[in-house]
Amino acid sequence: MNENIKNNAEKMPDLLCVSPSPHIKSTDTTRSIMIDVLIALIPAFAWGVYMMGLRALVIGLLSVICCVLFEAGVQFILHRPVTVSDCSAAVTGLIFAMNLPVTVPLWMPVVGSFFAIVVVKQLFGGIGKNIVNPALAARVFLFSAWAGQMSRFTAPGNPVSSLRITLGDVDAVTGATPLAALKNGVVPSATVGDMLIGNIGGSIGEVSAVLLLLGGVYLIVRRVITWHIPVAYLGSVALITFLFPQTGTGGMFMLYELMAGGLVLGAFFMATDYVTSPITPVGRLLFGVGCGGITVLIRYFGSYPEGVSFAILIMNLLVWYLDLAGMPKRFGAVGEKVSKK
Amino acid sequence: MAYTFKGGIHVEEHKHTSKCETVTVPTPPVVKISMNQSIGAPAAPVVKKGDSVKIGQLIGDVPESALGCPVHSSVSGTVTGIEETRVTDGSIHKVVVIESDGENAVHESVTPFTGNIAELSRDEIIRRIRAAGITGMGGAAFPTYAKIKSAVGKAEYLIVNCAECEPFITADHRLLLEDADSVIAGVKILLRATGAPQAYIAIEDNKADAAKKVQKKLRGVDFITVKMLKTKYPQGDERQLIFALTGRELAAGKLPADAGCVIFNAATCAAVYRAFAEGMPLVRRTLTVSGDCVKTPSNLSVPVGTTASYLIEQCGGLTKTPEKLIAGGPMMGQAQWDPDMPTKKSTSSLLLLSADYSKKPATPAVCIRCGRCVKNCPMRLMPAYIASFVQKDDMENAEKYGAMSCVECGSCSYNCPGKVEIVQYIRVAKNHIRTEAARMKAAREASENK
Repeated sequence: MNENIKNNAEKMPDLLCVSPSPHIKSTDTTRSIMIDVLIALIPAFAWGVYMMGLRALVIGLLSVICCVLFEAGVQFILHRPVTVSDCSAAVTGLIFAMNLPVTVPLWMPVVGSFFAIVVVKQLFGGIGKNIVNPALAARVFLFSAWAGQMSRFTAPGNPVSSLRITLGDVDAVTGATPLAALKNGVVPSATVGDMLIGNIGGSIGEVSAVLLLLGGVYLIVRRVITWHIPVAYLGSVALITFLFPQTGTGGMFMLYELMAGGLVLGAFFMATDYVTSPITPVGRLLFGVGCGGITVLIRYFGSYPEGVSFAILIMNLLVWYLDLAGMPKRFGAVGEKVSKK
Repeated sequence: MAYTFKGGIHVEEHKHTSKCETVTVPTPPVVKISMNQSIGAPAAPVVKKGDSVKIGQLIGDVPESALGCPVHSSVSGTVTGIEETRVTDGSIHKVVVIESDGENAVHESVTPFTGNIAELSRDEIIRRIRAAGITGMGGAAFPTYAKIKSAVGKAEYLIVNCAECEPFITADHRLLLEDADSVIAGVKILLRATGAPQAYIAIEDNKADAAKKVQKKLRGVDFITVKMLKTKYPQGDERQLIFALTGRELAAGKLPADAGCVIFNAATCAAVYRAFAEGMPLVRRTLTVSGDCVKTPSNLSVPVGTTASYLIEQCGGLTKTPEKLIAGGPMMGQAQWDPDMPTKKSTSSLLLLSADYSKKPATPAVCIRCGRCVKNCPMRLMPAYIASFVQKDDMENAEKYGAMSCVECGSCSYNCPGKVEIVQYIRVAKNHIRTEAARMKAAREASENK
């Protein structure tokens, strides 16, 4: 070693690290992004707990814990690195819980978490590899298997505090959701204001449009998601429902349709799931429009009142093609393009 | 209004040395001058062990017909050996080791040009620039004479690249503040050599003081204009620079001359001026020594071939253990393995970064398809897809998705939350595609010759 650095000899390591550039990285990690998503979900979830009672909190915690445990467990069994610290399983758990009615028996979040994490996520290769959104797939799985329990919604102002573990239904005052009313061709009894605040029946996390919107704006401001999918999704639903209202006037019907069911939750938090949505801006716009179109088609012509879950799951399958369609035009590919600068 | 481009990223600047005046280091006891100072053919040593040399004396030459630059001694002293070692980029080349006698005697071939440059023919200017061994000093080290030749008759704009968009580096910033006259004089020579009618001096707006200074010097000169660029990485990339200033998009594989531009680094312009005013070949440069492990981060004027360890010593040594020694900027520079690595004509900085800069998350690197790489890619590629093709060893698709258009700026890797080394995967693809193309070509030629 050169004697000029004798004084630094103890500071200079025996081996310097040789690695590819860039040598500096942004501090954002998968974990920090997932924590941002959790933060964005909390207001709407807290409103659900406030409206529907302590049981909602229990369901939320239960599915988060189950998702994390199932992820760690299956990774341990499959000799994969355990990655629960990236918080993606917790996000799946919370979103899944927010898609459940508060009246479900407590074994259902456990079964749903298993399906979401083990079947949909880990068996397809884990984070980054799953084809469809785990939380939504689990919701649709439960919905197909136990349609009754999955569509028993409490009437607003009747929180369920029973924490009794039961195999059957929990006692609750149930009522029709605005979405069901719309499906039957009647104007819901809830006002637009009720729907905005979340003074309506529905799944734990889907009722308060304004708090979901708040979370969505937080994600956009924090650059966790881009505007493309939510704007294209909500915009296309708004356009179709405005032009072809089923009941009442276009404007009013459109507002009801936008805030009813899981649309706002789906547009900001589930359609924007990184792994199962396109990575190109144009692909994202197409994805959003596709989700909006299918949602309205199911709501208008399908046998289910809600189409958000199916719409997103169907579009999940097309992500690869949407990215191909949305492939950006390479820099310089058009030859000399002279702008007015 | 500042000029800019689409995509790119905002990086923490770390320009700790922008207020530090350039310090000329005492002549190092030994310099190791690589014969591979530029793109093209390496120079062949024309000195041997035991020869005594002086500053500016030719020590390595390249045949006139080949692309490449002659190399000169940066100190006076004795050649103690010609080693064959790995140099900064990892390739093996000859390195001339010269022990300094401390006298700094200048070789007799170094004589100022006293005539009128305006009367020199274009070919004569180009010949002198080549003889002075001038290469691009921004990092890519393209021989300057060859760049001038490529631009003759095509260049509408001569662009002086003072974007210095890499974090930490402040060498060009200081050069503009301390010696704007040399840069401007160099630009005038280069304008004459290339035949370009006008020049833009392009400066990022985080160096407003330098821009103001240059603007003042340019009063009354209407063919050289200062253009402010928005501070964004990679603004200094030649394609993004051309786009920002002219709105022209230069496709992959094309030269700036194809878009009517020719680009020189600010330090290169000053070196051109010195080659005429002092007759001194390119044997010194200003570089930034910085990073969180250096006691006194500094801008240093150093002879070509000075070792990193000597420069660290000149900066007061280390305050903590570095994990990496980087030649060049943190975004595109190369990590070095030897503290005795010599600097080259194109080494704009030496960075000593601690392990704080390369903290790894607890989970393995995995793409979560967030799409940031697509959003940030200045070449508008889909880096995540290319990387995943490379992971599956599907080079055909990697090429189809534009791997060869990648300028390796590293914006994708920088912002990847999954911490995937995206740009490195793309480099692997580029390397594979190039090697494969060369193999195919060789095979075709072999079969034709049969």
